[in-house]
Amino acid sequence: MTHDDAPHSSQLDVGDDAPLDPAESLRIIAAQTDKVRATQVDGRVLFGVWGVAWLVGYLALYLTAEGHLPGGSSGPGGLLLPATWAYIVFAALIWTAVAVTIVYSIRVGSGVRGVSARTGAMYGWSWFIAFAGMGTIIGGLVNLGASDEIVSLMSNSLACLVVGIMYLAGGTFWQDTRQYILGIWIILVAVVALYAGLPGAFLVMAVLGGGGFLLGALGDHLVRTTRTTRTARSRG
Amino acid sequence: MSDLDLDPIIHAQSRLRVVATLAALPVGDRITFPRLQSLLDMTAGNLSTHLRKLEDADYVLVTKAHEGRRPTTSIELTPRGRLAFETYAATLTALLGGGSS
Repeated sequence: MTHDDAPHSSQLDVGDDAPLDPAESLRIIAAQTDKVRATQVDGRVLFGVWGVAWLVGYLALYLTAEGHLPGGSSGPGGLLLPATWAYIVFAALIWTAVAVTIVYSIRVGSGVRGVSARTGAMYGWSWFIAFAGMGTIIGGLVNLGASDEIVSLMSNSLACLVVGIMYLAGGTFWQDTRQYILGIWIILVAVVALYAGLPGAFLVMAVLGGGGFLLGALGDHLVRTTRTTRTARSRG
Repeated sequence: MSDLDLDPIIHAQSRLRVVATLAALPVGDRITFPRLQSLLDMTAGNLSTHLRKLEDADYVLVTKAHEGRRPTTSIELTPRGRLAFETYAATLTALLGGGSS
């Protein structure tokens, strides 16, 4: 950065710029507030990418397990298993959503330091730590001899529980009611999916889980458009 | 109440834009010089000049640090600056309200 000594008018000189009237000043404040707000996290992106990943990914698992799409098979005890290709699609979608979330969060946070950056970093690590703990618990269940069905159902429900708790935490921290409600919803989905059993759990995750995220994205969109209209009207 | 009640440090187009942008950030956040510049569409020299005036008035705090080998300059509003901005905004609203009656 260069602190060049460009010629400028004397200290505290009001006239070193275009003259201002109060109405113009208020317009400038509103415009800059909007500009800063536009660079902050857009919930539509994050809710949207996760909504699509869950909806399409879990739907592929469900439809192949139920035999509506080819590739599914019958496991031991007559358990219906999804196709390998469906698992690949599912994994690809989830990893894409993870990648989008990380890249997007880094881009939004770049150039900002201080409290928000530290909070964001701790929150990001909380996701990682929670999922690492969850993975270890699932590994423990496998070692204890849990059946494939139990492992599969518990992986889904525990992952859902972690996501739900993280949304509750995020909603609490940022005083974001929509995020908090989504947290409650996702925890309900975790419970319903477990009781639905396989392969119904996949359908529950797709429709209620993925659908919940997409509703969250829609809610965010509606709030943004009404807010923009209101600002535009107050400026006009 | 008249225009004279408006803080002359803030009541200038460029500095008002700088202060309004910083005030829109959450309390406790700093913004890097390039990011602030992009939010304002100002030249680096112009922005530096205005920042120095705001710094002299103790309205902004400019921190120079190194992240790895890269020197970074980050800017934040001081509590005094935030108070001055809020007072300024309240005065504007009062002026506009009073002007119509």
